[in-house]
Amino acid sequence: MNSKLIDRLQILSISLIWLLFTGIAVWILNLIKESLRLHDSPDASLGISLVAIPVFFTLSSVLTYVFVGLRKGRRKDVEP
Amino acid sequence: MEKAPAAPHPEYDLLRPIENPGKSFYYIVAVLLVIILYTGYVYVRQVYYGLGVTGMAQPVTWGFYIINFVFFIGISHAGTLISAILRLSKAEWRRPITRMAEVITAIVLAIGGLHPIIDLGRPDRISHLFYNGRLQSPLLWDITSITAYFTASTVYLYIPMIPDIAILRDRGVKPRWLYEFLSWGWQGTEQQHKVLDRAMNILMVVVIPIAISVHTIISYIFAMTVQPGWHSTIFGPYFVVGAIFSGIAAILVLMIVFRKVFRLERYLKPIHFNYLSVLLLIMSLLWFYFTFSEYLTGYYGHEPNEMRVFWYKFSGAFAPYFWTMVTCNFLLPLILLSNRKTRTIPGILVASISVIIGMWLERLIIVVPSLANPRLPYPTGIYIPSATEWTLFIGGVSVFILGYMMFARFFPVISVWEIQEGRQESVKAVTERIASYMPDAPPPMAKG
Repeated sequence: MNSKLIDRLQILSISLIWLLFTGIAVWILNLIKESLRLHDSPDASLGISLVAIPVFFTLSSVLTYVFVGLRKGRRKDVEP
Repeated sequence: MEKAPAAPHPEYDLLRPIENPGKSFYYIVAVLLVIILYTGYVYVRQVYYGLGVTGMAQPVTWGFYIINFVFFIGISHAGTLISAILRLSKAEWRRPITRMAEVITAIVLAIGGLHPIIDLGRPDRISHLFYNGRLQSPLLWDITSITAYFTASTVYLYIPMIPDIAILRDRGVKPRWLYEFLSWGWQGTEQQHKVLDRAMNILMVVVIPIAISVHTIISYIFAMTVQPGWHSTIFGPYFVVGAIFSGIAAILVLMIVFRKVFRLERYLKPIHFNYLSVLLLIMSLLWFYFTFSEYLTGYYGHEPNEMRVFWYKFSGAFAPYFWTMVTCNFLLPLILLSNRKTRTIPGILVASISVIIGMWLERLIIVVPSLANPRLPYPTGIYIPSATEWTLFIGGVSVFILGYMMFARFFPVISVWEIQEGRQESVKAVTERIASYMPDAPPPMAKG
């Protein structure tokens, strides 16, 4: 397979991971909004989201760090 | 022009199942696919006719599916948690074990996570969680924590696999595009190794609390209710201990199977089984301690509703399961693993299978008796799982076996680069580590 295409697919996969985790964060925020609207234990919802959202973003950040780091760490003279 | 075959790799035994899978692989896959297809048909039938095709009815509204959910998620603790602990503690003997363990987590979590959906008569209503979920419900904590654990475990499995994927890419193993796509341009430079090490260090720290939180939260589904037999403050750690216990047993069974099938005797040595079986024995004792504490406090309180559930387990309809559980989880492992003569690979296999059966029975004993003995003046419930539930259980196990086989078909089940790194650097690293914590030599005695 064309190496440029693989390159693009790799970038796409990382972007999709960010999209997924952002989607999860938006979902959690939406549930907090609902709990605030219904006065349905918003403090509990806030507490849980404070833990959950950073976990997902830490994971996507680690993946991105590895992705970028491995690209930067390649030898210039050798094709991957 | 045909590409020349790759030169034999120093760790060829680890790559052989990928480069030459053999015919038996395809036969087993075919059999498993037939079972899975039939399971799919049975599930569609359940969706069509409703949960009436299961053995669940009032008051026992949770059965096999929830039991298997808790059981599979428990097994998932085998991998990432144990692997992270072994990596963090720099246990050198971990090298041939960690990946096998991590794969269990990723596959089993996917299967276990689907069980609450199977338990729904109207699975389409799962979508309600996305816009009407209540974040203070333990069920929603479960979804969040399982998703986080699944993601973290997959990332934790994938990142240390990158150098091995690059080995397969460089050897021209097919499908080459897959290995090229997944290897992320790995060339093994010093800079790339630094990045990988740093990422692994972060993940090790992140993944341990996530893993512990998952099974604690699963226990909350039960403990947050005021149901007799469930409402317990020690349920969190009790579930975590049980999960690690069943997880270690699952790793041991898989190690023994792969050692035999893939001829990995050079990598999985008796010492690995010995260390892990001692850990299994310790977990067996811990499990017994928690079980004893759990039932003793219930018995001492002598609350009538609690006692109904208690006697239902100890001498009632569930007594055979209860005492089999005690035998499988405590007596048999204790007898087999505390004696050096029986702590052999066959002995460890028997003890591990016994623990897996015992831990499944434990989940059964936790879920059903509390529901079968309602506090309202209703008769005691009866739960007999139907053929549908048994089929879905067998289907779940088949998906696990198929998933593991597919993984082993495309990726090494033992980390090649970590073995090579161990051969080159372990002795020096361990010697330096020992030198760093050994007490300094005493100063020379003054003369006279």
